[in-house]
Amino acid sequence: MLHIRNLCKNFGALKATDDVSLSVDRGTIHALIGPNGAGKTTLISQLSGYMQPSSGAITFDGQDLLSIPAHKRPHIGLVRSFQITSVFPELTVLDNVCLVLQSMQGQARSIFRIAAADRLERDEAREILTRVGLVDQADSVTGSLAHGQKRQVEIAMALAAKPKLLLLDEPMAGMGAEESRHLMTLLDNLRASVTMLLVEHDMDVVFGLADKVSVLVYGQMVASDTPENIRNNQDVQKAYLGGHNLHTEAKEC
Amino acid sequence: MNYTHYSRFLIGSCIALILLPWLFQAMGSSYLISTATRLVIFAIAAVSLDLLIGYTGLVSFGHAAFLGVGAYTVGILSFHAYEETTLMGFSGTLSGLIAIPLAIVLSALVALIIGSLSLRTKGVYFIMITLSFGQMLFFLFVSLEKYGGDDGMMMFDGRNTLPGLNLNDRIEFYYFCLAWFILFFWFCTRLVRSKFGRTLAAIRQNEDRLSSIGISDYWSKLQIFVIAGVGAGLAGALSANHTEFVSPDITHWTRSGDLMIVVILGGMGTLIGPVLGTFLFLLLEEFLPLILHSLGFDLLSEHWRFVFGPILILIVLYAKFGLYGLIFGRMR
Repeated sequence: MLHIRNLCKNFGALKATDDVSLSVDRGTIHALIGPNGAGKTTLISQLSGYMQPSSGAITFDGQDLLSIPAHKRPHIGLVRSFQITSVFPELTVLDNVCLVLQSMQGQARSIFRIAAADRLERDEAREILTRVGLVDQADSVTGSLAHGQKRQVEIAMALAAKPKLLLLDEPMAGMGAEESRHLMTLLDNLRASVTMLLVEHDMDVVFGLADKVSVLVYGQMVASDTPENIRNNQDVQKAYLGGHNLHTEAKEC
Repeated sequence: MNYTHYSRFLIGSCIALILLPWLFQAMGSSYLISTATRLVIFAIAAVSLDLLIGYTGLVSFGHAAFLGVGAYTVGILSFHAYEETTLMGFSGTLSGLIAIPLAIVLSALVALIIGSLSLRTKGVYFIMITLSFGQMLFFLFVSLEKYGGDDGMMMFDGRNTLPGLNLNDRIEFYYFCLAWFILFFWFCTRLVRSKFGRTLAAIRQNEDRLSSIGISDYWSKLQIFVIAGVGAGLAGALSANHTEFVSPDITHWTRSGDLMIVVILGGMGTLIGPVLGTFLFLLLEEFLPLILHSLGFDLLSEHWRFVFGPILILIVLYAKFGLYGLIFGRMR
């Protein structure tokens, strides 16, 4: 579904993405792990169009992704969530979700449709908020929510775009244990309909959900394999955990 | 905000504006009708600027450019009608059915051009580039020797003509402008509550997030820039009719500044705010010199802006959300 070939992104002498090739298969959850500064978010940003790669190619669903502007990518099914919460703070939670829905309907610049009068849109937004477990906060101003709840708004917005491929940049970061578990179940249930590229530090989540794991270190792809093989991969253990055994790490977490 | 309080205020003000001519006649000061006409014309421009500044977070410092486009459209058509000459093969006209729609179309076009270029920049650069475009139009109008250069031109044939309306009658003209104002205000009320209005709020709050949910911030901003330009162009066309005189002064950057002051003074991000701001601005402009004079401050009366400035500063400093905040308590 997604093919990245020889992708490079340079910031001066720094190679943030260094000749990365990666394929994400339809219907799988593909985890992307790596130490801080490995270039995970940089990679996501290039996929979502927030950054232009220095060289390389990306195809999505058979289309050349790099020729499609960022704001059109959600419309072909490629949607991202943000590591650093990025919502519309003065709008209500419901309006944040409705904003995505109206965008997907192609009504973002519709002057004559009164926003609050679209009953169907509001019902759909409520339904999505129910799924992420935030429906009782639907009418709260988003800026007033707790951090973990804002993270849930972020997920609700991503789901509202009805993605084919969902790029999740550390979705659990800042969530409480309860919220985290809820989201994990939600993502697990979604795996039939949505392909996911998941950046995550929580190894329980990674090894609990992923069908495939890729490891990025200093911009380079060190390994890309099944969770089992990644756990036992010597290179990964050396580069990523300084020799600690990933298997025991995962259990201790 | 108490919604019934708000809508009562709206309906009340509407009735007051409709009854104003009778009131002035009863007071025996019917010359004030001209001030009221200025109020509704200037308010159209102020509300249109607030769509950019208050609702979208786009600080445009060249909004008077569109006043100029509207005014010069009416002025130039009237000039050629009077001289019985043609411009690029077209004869001039006094007909309001042609002049006013043309003013609207031309200001939309100019807004499209200025917007498509300036909206590629952000923040301070956007302020500077809109200011530059405004000044470019100012000097363009100054250079039009044929149309009076920096002296401007009189509309010797009087105001535009319309079937069934005599715009040269000051009361009929007041109602004509009031009708446009109410129409534009109603349109804006719908606009800010529309789905597009929600997109505008999103641009103001977190512009960079928009593309990730599939919305182009550029095209959205261009759309509101053109709508706002049309509002100001309409105000310019009405203003030319009101004064029967057109000069580059209407596009001067201080005009853009006045509009910005009015919006900030009245309360950004509200539609009533800029109207209240216009009301206070024109009231002070008209009566502050008289008041100062009658208090015996003759020197200050001549330099009334010396008192005007500090008043504005005090309001902006102490009344959160401007006059709107003073009257309605809190915003939105």
